[in-house]
Amino acid sequence: MARPLLGWAIFAVAMLLLPQFVSNGTLRIIIFANFLAIFAMSWDFISGKTGYISFGHPFLIGIGAYTSAILSYRFGMPVSLSIPLAVLATMVGGTLFFLPALRIKGTYFALVTLAFMELMYQLVQVIRPDLTGGTRGISGIKTILSGAAPNFYLSFGLMFAIGLALWLLSRTRLGTALDAISMNEEAVSGSGLNTTRLKLFAFMVSALVAGLGGAFYVHYLGSIAPRALFDINFVFTIIVSVLIGGSATIIGPIMGAFFMTFLLEYLRPLLPGSERYLVYGMIALVLYVYQPKGIMQILKNLSLRTRGPQTGRSGNV
Amino acid sequence: MSSLLVLDKVVKRFGGIVATNGLSFHVDRGESLALIGPNGAGKTTIFSLIMGEHRQNSGTIKLNGEEISHLPTHKRIQKGVARTYQVPRPFSEMDVAGNIRVGMMPDNLWKMITQSADPDAELTIARSVGFRDEDLLRKPSELSMGDLRKLELARTLAAKPEIMLLDEVFAGLTVGEIEQISDLLAQKRKEGLTYIIVSHDLRALEPLVDRAVAMTFGRAIAEGSFIEVMDDEAVRSAYLGQ
Ligand SMILES: Nc1ncnc2c1ncn2[C@@H]1O[C@H](COP(=O)(O)OP(=O)(O)OP(=O)(O)O)[C@@H](O)[C@H]1O
Ligand SMILES: [Mg+2]
Repeated sequence: MARPLLGWAIFAVAMLLLPQFVSNGTLRIIIFANFLAIFAMSWDFISGKTGYISFGHPFLIGIGAYTSAILSYRFGMPVSLSIPLAVLATMVGGTLFFLPALRIKGTYFALVTLAFMELMYQLVQVIRPDLTGGTRGISGIKTILSGAAPNFYLSFGLMFAIGLALWLLSRTRLGTALDAISMNEEAVSGSGLNTTRLKLFAFMVSALVAGLGGAFYVHYLGSIAPRALFDINFVFTIIVSVLIGGSATIIGPIMGAFFMTFLLEYLRPLLPGSERYLVYGMIALVLYVYQPKGIMQILKNLSLRTRGPQTGRSGNV
Repeated sequence: MSSLLVLDKVVKRFGGIVATNGLSFHVDRGESLALIGPNGAGKTTIFSLIMGEHRQNSGTIKLNGEEISHLPTHKRIQKGVARTYQVPRPFSEMDVAGNIRVGMMPDNLWKMITQSADPDAELTIARSVGFRDEDLLRKPSELSMGDLRKLELARTLAAKPEIMLLDEVFAGLTVGEIEQISDLLAQKRKEGLTYIIVSHDLRALEPLVDRAVAMTFGRAIAEGSFIEVMDDEAVRSAYLGQ
């Protein structure tokens, strides 16, 4: 326990010093990485942990983003109120998202969540475009802070707090029980545990994180448009971040999100078009085939090799 | 003596197959019962019905005098009944200790978060089924069939049941392992655990039970002491006719 916590502390200090050393351009990239990390952790807490794969996470992120955007832009609500309300709305949406998980699993569940995202995409354009801005979305939304460094600190602080909280949560017996659901849900009921309640909890936590991320993100961007948000490429970026980082580990998705963001960024000048996604897909695939448990496991193996194997009983990371 | 578990005219159909055909039997508190019958007789199905993994088409199942048929599986376990599986189903990515940990968890989110696991209790349960201390860190993929069955028992015992349903706990075990598990069951029986045990290994079964029920095609065909049931004409022909 002490060593990983030290790791978190070093991570925090290093990141907080970063604005002294890197350009504003790089900071802007890291801000995106921070938000992607938040979305990836949200996904990881449902799909990585319990094995219920979501293809529709932008549904949750979108509720958070749109709710806060509409409340603040259309109704002049202060951000300090619109964000908590947006998170609440996302958790209500998370309950809807959860309903299919009562009955279906695997591919079917994934497809239904994808349908949720598509439905949201259509609804946003059709129902009350005077509120949502329809296809064009909304711009001129209040931003919380201005400048690269302040926004970097804000997004990092949010990402770090969420990451640490989820990581601590996943190290409790509750985290173990959620892991167990992904391995054999029947045997979890067979151990006397209410799996419905466990799953609902995981969905609520995931929705809370997605809602926070979505709301803060929209107040960073200052604008929102449905096509970019409810986009299958966005879903894949989230999922691939988790998979190449190491699913069900919380730390893995953070590393994966940073890796993916910088990979996309460095490929940009070389491949300006959408071929970029092809190359990044292939790099992710090769990495995934090389180590299905992701960057987390690669680093662990490296540290085992250099430090020698750890002895004694230890929990999963 | 009061009956701990009572099944009354239980019927379960899978499509055209009648897996349980109006079966009735009871188990008293502290009693151990053998459930025997040829392949496909419906033994495992009865366990699934008692646990609520399948629902019967008709008939009642009472535990401690209370009808439990409407309860979901986890509630039944909290009422004091638990089972092992004929095909062991461990949590594949968790070590032995982790598997036992899940079995021991209280069904309370708050306690799951705030109270940490109890490694000593995990170790005690693991030792009680015959694991060595170093086995606690092993993954199911590294375990022999005997060890997997021990893990099934450990995970089930961790739920602290009043009555245990043991499905083919001896299948695929070496003679030494059978002896070890028999000793464990004899010990638990002495401590007052009630159980129903299903096994094709009749010789191992005999010293472990007070009474036996024999069944074929989802019906009871004989009931009584183990010797009586084994001598029964219908039982003999059911086994020979297999
Ligand atoms: N889920 C199911 N769906 C359809 N049929 C089933 C199902 N489970 C069991 N059956 C059928 O019900 C009958 C009883 O099966 P069951 O597994 O209970 O027998 P068993 O006595 O445990 O046999 P064995 O000694 O081989 O374990 C069999 O004909 C089986 O094919
Ligand atoms: Mg069977």
